[in-house]
Amino acid sequence: MQASEIDVRGLRLHVRRGGRGAPLLFLHGAQGLNGSEPGLDALSSHFDVIAPDHPGFGRSADSETIEDASDLAFFYLDVIEFLGLRSVHVVGQCIGGWVALEMAIRSTARIESLVLANSAGIRVKGVPRADMFVCSEDDLLKMLFAGPGGAEWLKSWRATPELEDLYDRNRAAAARYSWSPRLFNPKLERWLHRVDVPTHIVWGREDRVIPQAYADALKSLIKGATAATLPGCAHLPHVEQPQAFAREVERFIRSAAR
Amino acid sequence: MKVFMFHLMPYADLDMSYAEKYRAAWVVLPNSYFDPKKGHELYNRYLDELELAAELGFDGISVNEHHQNAYGLMPSPVVTASALSRRTKSAKIAILGNAFCLREHPLTVAEEHAMIDCITGGRLITGMVRGIGAEYYSMGVNPTISHARFQEAHDLVVQAWTRTGPFAFEGKHYHFEYVNVWPRPYQQPHPPIWAPSTGSTETIEWAAHPSRRYVYLQAYSPITSVARYLNYYRECAQSMYGYTAASEQIGWSTPVYVSDTDRKARDEAKAHIEVLFNRLLRLPFEMIFPPGYLSAKSLKNMRSHKRSVSGQEHTVDSLIEQGIILCGSPDTVRKQLMDTHRMLGFQNLLCLMQFGTLPRDLTEKNIRLFASEVLPAIQALSDKEYGGMAVRAAE
Repeated sequence: MQASEIDVRGLRLHVRRGGRGAPLLFLHGAQGLNGSEPGLDALSSHFDVIAPDHPGFGRSADSETIEDASDLAFFYLDVIEFLGLRSVHVVGQCIGGWVALEMAIRSTARIESLVLANSAGIRVKGVPRADMFVCSEDDLLKMLFAGPGGAEWLKSWRATPELEDLYDRNRAAAARYSWSPRLFNPKLERWLHRVDVPTHIVWGREDRVIPQAYADALKSLIKGATAATLPGCAHLPHVEQPQAFAREVERFIRSAAR
Repeated sequence: MKVFMFHLMPYADLDMSYAEKYRAAWVVLPNSYFDPKKGHELYNRYLDELELAAELGFDGISVNEHHQNAYGLMPSPVVTASALSRRTKSAKIAILGNAFCLREHPLTVAEEHAMIDCITGGRLITGMVRGIGAEYYSMGVNPTISHARFQEAHDLVVQAWTRTGPFAFEGKHYHFEYVNVWPRPYQQPHPPIWAPSTGSTETIEWAAHPSRRYVYLQAYSPITSVARYLNYYRECAQSMYGYTAASEQIGWSTPVYVSDTDRKARDEAKAHIEVLFNRLLRLPFEMIFPPGYLSAKSLKNMRSHKRSVSGQEHTVDSLIEQGIILCGSPDTVRKQLMDTHRMLGFQNLLCLMQFGTLPRDLTEKNIRLFASEVLPAIQALSDKEYGGMAVRAAE
C-alpha cells in the first residue's frame, strides 16, 4: 500500500492505497491504523483499497469542524466525490462502521455495498459493553483480542517514537468522536431503513467492546443484511483474523453486490 | 498572607480492603461501600471542623467538588458552602473549585454562587476547575473538549454576573437565548475567581492572563513541582504578558499536621495520611488522564515525569521528604512555611487539616494547635519577607 496525502476542502488527509480491482474504502475504528494491518493487505489482492486516517487520527490533520460521526459521514461523502469514485464498497470497523452507516442513510448514490465489522453506531439496551477507555492496557488487549495477538499488535505501535505518539493521538481522537453517548448515535437506528445497498455484517465473536448481540441487532435493523461470525476473533478482525476477514468481504462483494 | 482551612470530606469509614477487589476509589467503586448513617456523622463532623477553623481565626474555609468517589464526598460543594454560610460571620467561604464545565447548564452553578455571595454579604470566593479526569467518566462529559468548555463556561458565567440581562449567549458549546441571572452577586463586579490546578500549563497561562489575573492555586504536589508551577505563573505574567504578578495571585494547597513534637506528629498522622495517598487517591493512569484530557504535549510530559502524587505507595516519611505534606511540631511547620514563603512568596495558603481517616479528636487538636502556634506568624507574612526571583535563582 502506498501512503499519500490529499487535501479535501482544506483538510489534509493521510491515505494508504493499494491493490487492484473495484474501489474499496476502508474506514478504521477507535484504534486507528499503523500500516501493519494484514487484513488490508489481504483485501488489496482483490480490491483497490483506500484506507484513510480519519481527521484527528494518525497522520491526518485535526479538524475543528468535524466533531462526531455525522460530520465524518458528510466528510467521507465529500472524499468519495473528491477521489472521483462513482461506485465504492465501504468497509467499516467499529467507529468506521458507524460512519459507514451514517453515510448510507444520507446517500448511497456512490456506495455499492457495505461491510460492517464489529461496528459501533447503535445501542442495544441491556447488553453490557466493556469500556476501552477506562481499562488498563492489559485489559484493553484482552478486550480487543480473543487470542494472544494483542502483545504483537501493541508492539507494532511501539516500533518508533512517532507511532507511540500516534497511539495516544488515536485514543484521544476516538474519545472525541465516541465518548458520549459512548460509541453510538441515539438517532441512527430510526433511519436505518434508508440503507438500501447490500450489507454484510462480519463480527469477531469474542468482542466485548461491541458484543455479538450488536451484530444480531444490526442484521434485524438493516433490510436484507447478511451476517457472518468469526470465531477466535474479537474487536479487530482485520488484525486478528485477517485472512478470514478478507475472505468474508471478498465472498460477499463477489456474490451479493450488483 | 491569607490562610484557609480546606476540607475534602473523605469517606473515612471506607472498608480499605476494597483495594483487593477494585482498582480505584473512584468511578468503579460500588456505592454500596457508602453507609448513609456514617455519611450523616461525617458530614456534620466535617462541617464542625471547618466552623471551628473559622472561629479560631483562619481567614477562610474551603470546600471542593468531586464525583462518584470515596476521596471527597462533595459532588456539590455549593451544598456544604451553603451550610457554612449561615454558621460563620466573617470568614471567606471558598469553593475551590466548582466544575462549571461539567454541567450542561453552567448558569445553575452561577446562580447558586450568586445566592451564597448575597447571603454571606460578599464572602464567597469562586474557584473554577475542569474537574480531574475521573470526573469525565463519572459525568459523561467529553474530556477532549474540556479546556474549551472550561473556558467557555467561565466566559458565560462572568458575563452572566457582570452584563445586564437578558442577553443571548452565542458560544460553541453553550447556547442560551436568555441569560439574566437573578440574584446578581453581592461583590462587584463579581466574586474573586481562583483557578486551582494540579499544574496544567494551559491553566496557568489562562489564569495569569492580564484580563483575568486570577489566583492560581497549586494543589498538593512535591515541593519542587509546586515551586516550578508557582514560578511559572510569575514568569508567564512577566514574559508572556508583560506585567509583574502580585503575590496575592499565588496560592499553595497542602496537607498540614502539627503535634507537640516532630516525632509525635509523624506517629499520629502516619496511618491517616497514608490512607489518603495510598487508598483514597488510588487512581490508575487511564482514569486520571482520560484520552484527550491533556494536550499531546502535557501527556508526554506526564508520562516522562511518572506520577509523583498518585500511582506509587507513599509513607509519611516519603511525603514529608518530598514536601508533599507539612508535618511536625509547630516550630518545624512554622519554619517550613516561612522558608517556603521566602522562596515562593505565595500570599494564599490552603491547609488540609483533616485527611484520610484522621479522627475527630486529632483533627480538632491539629486545628487548635495550628491556629494558636502557627497561624499568627504566617498571617503576618507579606511581600517584605518574600525573597523574590533572585533568591530562587541563588538557591
